[in-house]
Amino acid sequence: MAVTEWWKNTSCGGRRSAFMVFFLVLLLHCIAILLFTSGFLLTRTELPHHSQCSDVSQSPCGLPDRSPQGDHDGVTCWTKPAVDRLVIIVLDALRFDFVAPSTFFEEKKPWMDKLQVLHKFASESESAARIFKAIADPPTTSLQRLKGLTTGGLPTFIDIGNSFGAPAIVEDNLIHQLVQNGKRVVMMGDDTWTQLFPHHFNKSYPYPSFNVKDLDTVDNGCISHLIPTLYDDDWDVLIAHFLGVDHAGHIFGVDSVQMIEKLQQYNEQLEKVVEVLQSQAGRGSLHENTLLLVMGDHGQTINGDHGGGSAEEVDTSIFAMSLRKPSITVPPEFDASSCKLDLDGREVCISSIEQLDFAATVSALLGIPFPYGSIGRVNPMLYALVAGTWNLEDYDMSSSQSQLKLEEWMHNYAKVLCINSWQVKKYIDVYTASSVIGFSVDDLKHVADMYAQAVNWSDSLHDVASCKDEACRTSFDALKKQIDLYSNFLASVAELARTKFTEFNLRMMGIGFGILLISIFIHVLVIKRVDDITVFPSRETSSVSFGLIVSCTIVTARACSFLSNSYILEEGKMTNFLLASIGMLGLRHSIMTKKMIFEATAFVFLISILRFTIELGLSKPQEVLDFHSWMYVADLMPIVPLIILACLLYKSIACSSFLQFFEEVEISKWGEMAVMKAVAILSVWSSTLMILSGKQGPWIALASVVGGWLISRLKGLEQDNKNATTGLLALYSSPVTQWSLLASCLFFCSGHWCAFDGLRYAAAFVGFDEFTIIPQAILLTIETYGFSHILPTLGLPILVAYKYSSNEAKQTRQSLIQLFQVYLIYGLIMAVTTTFTVLCVIIQKRHLMVWGLFAPKFVFDVVGLILTDALICVSSVFYFIQT
Amino acid sequence: MKNKKKGHNIKDITRGDAVLIEVPVVVLLYSLFRKDMNQSSYLKAVARGLLGLPVGAVVHALGAIVLGAPVGTQYFLRTLNWSLLMSTFTFVPAASVYGSSWVDWHRIFAQTKPIGSIDYMICLPAHGAVIGGWFGAWPMPLDWERTWQEWPICVTYGAIIGYLVGMLASFCSAVFRVSSQHVKGD
Repeated sequence: MAVTEWWKNTSCGGRRSAFMVFFLVLLLHCIAILLFTSGFLLTRTELPHHSQCSDVSQSPCGLPDRSPQGDHDGVTCWTKPAVDRLVIIVLDALRFDFVAPSTFFEEKKPWMDKLQVLHKFASESESAARIFKAIADPPTTSLQRLKGLTTGGLPTFIDIGNSFGAPAIVEDNLIHQLVQNGKRVVMMGDDTWTQLFPHHFNKSYPYPSFNVKDLDTVDNGCISHLIPTLYDDDWDVLIAHFLGVDHAGHIFGVDSVQMIEKLQQYNEQLEKVVEVLQSQAGRGSLHENTLLLVMGDHGQTINGDHGGGSAEEVDTSIFAMSLRKPSITVPPEFDASSCKLDLDGREVCISSIEQLDFAATVSALLGIPFPYGSIGRVNPMLYALVAGTWNLEDYDMSSSQSQLKLEEWMHNYAKVLCINSWQVKKYIDVYTASSVIGFSVDDLKHVADMYAQAVNWSDSLHDVASCKDEACRTSFDALKKQIDLYSNFLASVAELARTKFTEFNLRMMGIGFGILLISIFIHVLVIKRVDDITVFPSRETSSVSFGLIVSCTIVTARACSFLSNSYILEEGKMTNFLLASIGMLGLRHSIMTKKMIFEATAFVFLISILRFTIELGLSKPQEVLDFHSWMYVADLMPIVPLIILACLLYKSIACSSFLQFFEEVEISKWGEMAVMKAVAILSVWSSTLMILSGKQGPWIALASVVGGWLISRLKGLEQDNKNATTGLLALYSSPVTQWSLLASCLFFCSGHWCAFDGLRYAAAFVGFDEFTIIPQAILLTIETYGFSHILPTLGLPILVAYKYSSNEAKQTRQSLIQLFQVYLIYGLIMAVTTTFTVLCVIIQKRHLMVWGLFAPKFVFDVVGLILTDALICVSSVFYFIQT
Repeated sequence: MKNKKKGHNIKDITRGDAVLIEVPVVVLLYSLFRKDMNQSSYLKAVARGLLGLPVGAVVHALGAIVLGAPVGTQYFLRTLNWSLLMSTFTFVPAASVYGSSWVDWHRIFAQTKPIGSIDYMICLPAHGAVIGGWFGAWPMPLDWERTWQEWPICVTYGAIIGYLVGMLASFCSAVFRVSSQHVKGD
């Protein structure tokens, strides 16, 4: 009575109010997640622009000097080239203490002082070599770091751009600029480079990097090509990327024999490289004006992990050596280095550089345009190290001239900084104008003021210094001030970008999480209310059942498990474990009531099949079939479930009900209609899905149909037993929990996992040859969430329509309320698990694996939640309308 | 030191020594309390108990595999030992006492409605062992890289603890029942 009253009072508004409830939940979730994400996921928009040589004419810095002496060929672009050739040797996961002498640290560890050759050259006064402590920005994974090093920006978790599907860098970058300006690039080693820059290298010798246990393949490949290539003259930039240290760290840890062996091997190789270079460093020789850079892309912890932002992972090193001799010492104002004696009593100085500055500095040295998105500053020490920065032939080495020379250098450096600042300012302006989330107005104004100040100073300076005579050379102090102004501007931009791109906004995250909690509270309230309404006050009822307790426990256990990285890694198995537990309880229950033992057994059997599928899916990459006959069988097998599915569909349409196919059951008019609707929409969706997910599609579809049918059958078990005296919540909690667990099992069965390498990019290209982002994003979403979110949500009415208590008058209304309740419970389960994922992300935001594991999981869950909410809204419209 | 000791225990459990000791004790003890005391002899009860051992082992092994126990030749022996142990905790006593009486089995394991003291002595430890084993599986995926996290060591520990707790509970309930009967008698 109460039910009818309630539903009647709201009449057709009842349906509308159901929709409103779901819509409210969707809205709350959207707001919460938007707020949380804006605080947590660091996003950055990739700009498609590229720097051009001609751009520099727009800068306030004037055209570059046309090399008055004419010893360069006069083709200068943005800056005057300082080096002709560049050798970059990247040693992956090179900790700072591998390179720096052990005297710089409190304690000498066994892995220190192994790269002796670097100490030797850094300490020799006649060689222009220096060790830098390079500070990387997290995430400290190779791919992100290489991206950061070459673009000069801060790669973030999500770089919104068109590099969807392939990791290739589309943004402007150092390598692109090199190629654009006629430099020939040779690459050897880690094949990540060829993935990032597929068409840029003149010659490349890539070696696979994925086998972590293999310490030597990449390194030996590098070594075999490196020395011979040094004698060639058909390249301008050489990149050699060694992986051994990284792999040794991952497998054995830093404090291991293998690591020390690797470092000793590198020491030998580096010695040879320097020998070759020095042997050809004479005037007019091949390496007369070559710069050698030995650098790490990131550090590693003692256990060999990296990815996070701890000092051990962030601190790496750059060793720079110019084969020309330097002529001046940089004034102490720019020289922030510390010097100490190493164990052999040699004085080694160490300066500091941000990896952010790498792209800008190298561009300036090579005289190519800076990458468009670079926000780094040309590092004074690295810039000063290279002899060609100023013309040392022009002056005698007398002390009276050295001051003049210093000023010449400072003038030059100020000019480079001017171009640098202009480029960064341009980037910031364009970025703000075109990106989704730009910088705030206040920040921009502050930065713009600093820039204006610097440029004004430069103008006034320029007026004085416009003449080329000896008399009107600018004073030392004025130049210094100029450099400081530019440096301050660049530093504040870098700081602004860091806060924008790499720091969490805790308040936003908190508010988002709070709203999520509120939405759950509302959810529970509504469920409670609906439950109260449907319980008949006259009869004795228990609103709490064993099923409810079990499902609450299972859902809570699953949700809590997301707080640990191990459980997230094993999520597929874990979900299956819980589903199997609940299935076994169902089996026990059916044995107890001596009914539906077949269904319960079949369900348990299905779960065990799913279990093996999940394990197979996890080991998929190695799966290679050797026999041809097997290949044919494997190709033909999916036809079997397809035929079965077609039969089922035909029968369910022909018998006017999907469920009547199995046995005669009483189904109301509404139930019949709902089932028809469900079958219609499911068959539409599943055909799309099967096309997208390939061979396994029909199998998974069959499994989901059988699973869904078994769950709805087993629901009857509980219902009959309780004789419809329990509340809806108690009745439906267990089946809905099973439904949602089965859904997420199917996600893992279909070979997905919560990481971006788990996405099936092939699905995006079904029916499309060309790359267009929107249709392919849609296809990919359908493929990813199809079996786990779309089908289960849309198919939920089958659960309700199947055999409910027949109370003639209220049938339709009551079943609508039931459906409403079922959707509420389903939504709540999804919301609770996602909330725990969010909580976990808050707790673990400084965790080592936050970018590797928690953040992808967060993204997957959040997208899944929103999708489910939206689908529930759609279904509430679709199913609640009576025709 | 502690670890070493544990390692030793682990070996024992996985080797199945525990089963070898446990089986005769359980069979001989529970056979004393066989339900159909008049119809069947003590030896027959013992034989039933021994027969129940492999049957129970198969049931437990299947259950474990459904729940996600690793499958493979290298795990075969371990799974076998574990399921034998579980069987001695659950099936063997029931088989000794109830024989093939389906009603009693149903009452104890499906409905969980023990009546007498001996019912409690079978029902509670058996449920305790299963529930303990279920909880014992939880630390397995954690990345602590301890030897005891391997299948089925921690599950076995869980089951043993659950069994002991069940034993204790059933013992307490028996004592309580006896004392309350005494009170009634007085």
